[in-house]
Amino acid sequence: MSDILLFKDIDEPGLATLEVYAKRGGYESLRKALEMTPEEVLAQLESSGLRGRGGAGFAMGKKVSFLPKGSIDKYLVCNADESEPGTFKDRELMQKSPHMLIEGIVIASYAAGASRSFIYIRGEYVRQADMLDAALAEATQAGYIGEDILKSGHSLSLVVHRGAGAYICGEETGLLDSLEGKRGNPRLKPPFPANQGLYQGPTLINNVETLATVPAIIAMGGEQYAKLGTDTSKGTKLVSVSGHVQRPGNYEIELGTPSREIIYGLAGGPPEGRQVKCWFPGGSSAPVLTAGDLDLPYDFDSMAKAGSMLGSGAIIVVDDSTPILDVALKVAKFYRHESCGKCTPCREGTNWTVKMLERIDNGTATPMDIEIMASVQEHIIGNCLCVLGDAMAMPIGSMIAKFRDEFETHIEQARARNDLAPAEPEPALAGGVSAHA
Amino acid sequence: MPRPEPKTITFTIDGREVQAPENAMLVDAAKLGDVEIPVFCYEPKLGNPVGACRMCLVEIEGIPKLQTGCSTPVKDGMVVNTESERVKTAQQSVVEFLLINHPLDCPVCDKGGECPLQDITFGWGPGKTRFVEEKRHFVKPLELSPEIAIDRERCILCYRCVRFSQEISEDYQLVLLERGAHSYVSTFDGHPYVAPFSGNIVELCPVGALTSREYRFRARPWDIEDAGSVCTLCPAQCNVTLTVRDERILRVLARDHSEVDDGWLCDRGRFAYPRLGGEGRVTEPLLRDGGELRPVSWERALEEAATRLKRAGAATGAIVGGGATNEEGLLLSRIMREGLDSPHIDSRVAGTLPLELHRALAEPNLQASVSDLEFAHAVLVLDCNPIEDAAILDLRLRKGVRRHGMKLVPATAADLLDERSAQELAAKLRATGPADDAGAEVVVLWGERLTAGPDGARAAQALLDLASTLNLADTKGAGLLEIPARANGRGLREAGVLPNAGPGLSALAEDGLDAIGIARALGEGELSCAYLLGADRAGEEWERALERATTVISHATFLTDALREHADVVFPAGAYAEKEGTIVHPDGRIQRLRQAAAHPGECRAEWQVLAELARRIGLDVEIQSGAMASQQLFDAVPRYAGLTLEEIGGRGVKPHEREVAVAS
Repeated sequence: MSDILLFKDIDEPGLATLEVYAKRGGYESLRKALEMTPEEVLAQLESSGLRGRGGAGFAMGKKVSFLPKGSIDKYLVCNADESEPGTFKDRELMQKSPHMLIEGIVIASYAAGASRSFIYIRGEYVRQADMLDAALAEATQAGYIGEDILKSGHSLSLVVHRGAGAYICGEETGLLDSLEGKRGNPRLKPPFPANQGLYQGPTLINNVETLATVPAIIAMGGEQYAKLGTDTSKGTKLVSVSGHVQRPGNYEIELGTPSREIIYGLAGGPPEGRQVKCWFPGGSSAPVLTAGDLDLPYDFDSMAKAGSMLGSGAIIVVDDSTPILDVALKVAKFYRHESCGKCTPCREGTNWTVKMLERIDNGTATPMDIEIMASVQEHIIGNCLCVLGDAMAMPIGSMIAKFRDEFETHIEQARARNDLAPAEPEPALAGGVSAHA
Repeated sequence: MPRPEPKTITFTIDGREVQAPENAMLVDAAKLGDVEIPVFCYEPKLGNPVGACRMCLVEIEGIPKLQTGCSTPVKDGMVVNTESERVKTAQQSVVEFLLINHPLDCPVCDKGGECPLQDITFGWGPGKTRFVEEKRHFVKPLELSPEIAIDRERCILCYRCVRFSQEISEDYQLVLLERGAHSYVSTFDGHPYVAPFSGNIVELCPVGALTSREYRFRARPWDIEDAGSVCTLCPAQCNVTLTVRDERILRVLARDHSEVDDGWLCDRGRFAYPRLGGEGRVTEPLLRDGGELRPVSWERALEEAATRLKRAGAATGAIVGGGATNEEGLLLSRIMREGLDSPHIDSRVAGTLPLELHRALAEPNLQASVSDLEFAHAVLVLDCNPIEDAAILDLRLRKGVRRHGMKLVPATAADLLDERSAQELAAKLRATGPADDAGAEVVVLWGERLTAGPDGARAAQALLDLASTLNLADTKGAGLLEIPARANGRGLREAGVLPNAGPGLSALAEDGLDAIGIARALGEGELSCAYLLGADRAGEEWERALERATTVISHATFLTDALREHADVVFPAGAYAEKEGTIVHPDGRIQRLRQAAAHPGECRAEWQVLAELARRIGLDVEIQSGAMASQQLFDAVPRYAGLTLEEIGGRGVKPHEREVAVAS
């Protein structure tokens, strides 16, 4: 029930080489696709119902179809800036099966009519970038990349570009600016990349996993692929499970699998004697769910209905040994650090939220600060230039809503600690005896 | 190139139906319905909106999320709400966010009283903050450049200055460093921001983060008055608003005129003025006495000048400098021609051209406007260097290239004088046009120096030939645009300050010597008196001329070495902010100078001095006021007939366009 398509052969030794990949049927999908017309390939992608695996879950076929037709120069960009905390699926995919990604890129570029492509990979993925470079050299040598691929008339260049280390460069327009050599700041949308993307040209941007799924769709046919998963979340999904589980790692599951089965079944659940306190179903920017939500099917719509999102498919499990404030502070600090600073609510709101959480922790906050914090999150959500602000405000807001009691207790306890402190710098709690006692 | 011709649509804002041009940004369209949507980062002059500050969030029916009014083009039937609770909450929250890290040091801030952040906080802010934590701190203020101080604590990171540097002046020096709440504006390596147009960022800054070091702590907004005038430090004649306190100029700001300066100023125009009003000015009449220039009364100076002029009579030669107004030029030419019977007067440095060439170059349908530079298919930059000769045009050319794909073609007189290369040039320019037969819209931006020297007349003819080859006269949006060597070069020519032409380029009974001829004649003793109206001549020829001249009379703001050594009478002259009168922009637009600052010391208006001098040599010019001097100009130049100072107003008038309007 797991490791169905993308991870079928993932642990095959040498899969990263063209030789082994080809032996396992690699690049057969490309041959098949190139025998079809681009419109037929696009039809397969559309009928597969594949939704983007990077976070937003937008239908991939539809995204391809948005690109203007005609002989205009078009670009394809693979977003490999996998930076969402908790997400590490693309890393394993690129490291173990780089050719699958390259094959997917060539097929997608054929459908989209793009002649130049880029893989924007986060700078920290040094090894994976090296492996992609090696695989790209092999693929070029074999004629899968370059002029007139397999005598089909389709040509494609591919460049592996390493980022310089910023979460915001995973936001598609920030990525484009960074790829163009500018400061990686998000752009105002519209225009959307499909119309004006890289170098102002029409651009298709997709996540690694999305593009890597393309060969499987071509191999089995879009309709066959669509039989996997649920009505609105078709196919399989790579899930990165991390946090308080006994077997953290990447698992390929069919969409719609009960969340409990993933967290407890595949990942082994929290350590003995501990309970799930909350979990992020789609990376650190997804609103948290609680133990009560564990029986929800793991798919786009169920997660959305529960008030959260499937996001990049990164499940982070937090058990009852961790104060919710620690979780909130960790999340808020991350987004404060990664805010690009271009728009006001995100730049100032993330900064302010961290300061308030720190005051809660050090005992200088009052319960009123929880109200302010909650209202600040509301003021961020929906008002920013890109979704980075929301990515902090949504989980923090959900934590306040679901664990308000714990925040209040934390405030009271921290205040009590302060009140008990003696005026003189005598460590109050060290001896267990306070000046008032 | 086709210019935008928006159609009018109707949309609804806050319950009222408003008409607006389609695709105007909502914040602009809203103004047409008297609705103000607050903005910080939005500034249309900077190009496409960036939507960074989020101050302009509005509710649009049918769109779930609030939208930025600065980047949403208005469409027919759009229903916009700027007063709902949701919008108000969003506006208040953005102001609250912005003030989190703002020091609120308004009482000691130069911007206080004229600060968009203050205004918007009062208008749309929550009134109080809930932020109790420590604010962000930076060392401040720092010198961003010798002219500009930066206070990073006040900065609200609106990106305006960075966008100006990156996309308007294209000096690419200003950047944002670091990320998030730690971001700050800087140059990449901390070097001073020195660039020809750097001062514009001070005016763009919506808070007190960027301030002029010259103006810092000199005045509060309630101490000052604004006075509109025109900068005459170069031929670009940018429209300016002068900040006046106690009759002195403290600051120069841009006064947007899309047909002149596009709302920008160069640093010379912006930062030079306060120094022009200061130390070293000639503030009283000077007379040579015992080998030295000594202050005397007006009576003495005028009497001495009149006596010497009468003695020299027709042996007087006059040079008019480029800062002189049309009226001053006309008055002096009357003194010369009517009072002294001398035809020797010139305003061109390099000598004059045959009258028919002057006239051909001034043909109304050959004149390009400044905005044509932006929309032309190609601009031929011929024998001029815009950044040196008329700096603000450099920005217009950049805008044309960046936003409209205009092709920039540089060339010199040599390219034009050689027949074969002239043909190649014409072909190259023609090729920039559309594929059909519509013809390329070409603007030739040419410097007066093209027509200087022995080949000057030939080069002028070659230029006219090129214009006719490219059919510029009959192509809309095409034409010639001259950058004269001096600020009011065009106006002085139109006023008849030429040796071979009277007002309106009319023919004279007797032609005089041009500037080169006057210098030679003075040097050889054929002329005995030199009259320099705001003109400072250098070079060996002039050194000899002034040395030999029996009398040198000058109007000067500052004493130069040559004047100190050779002048016999020096009248104190006004700087441009002290003048009234008219000047003519290179594209033919008559603009009006209005006195904003007081004359220093004993200094008097030039028209007054010239009129008095005329009286003393026996010529009654019938001028008792600046307005009368202007009226005389309008009567003297046929094309100015019927003009009034009121009609010229603050935006100027193009007589050749006015004729068409009056006729139709």
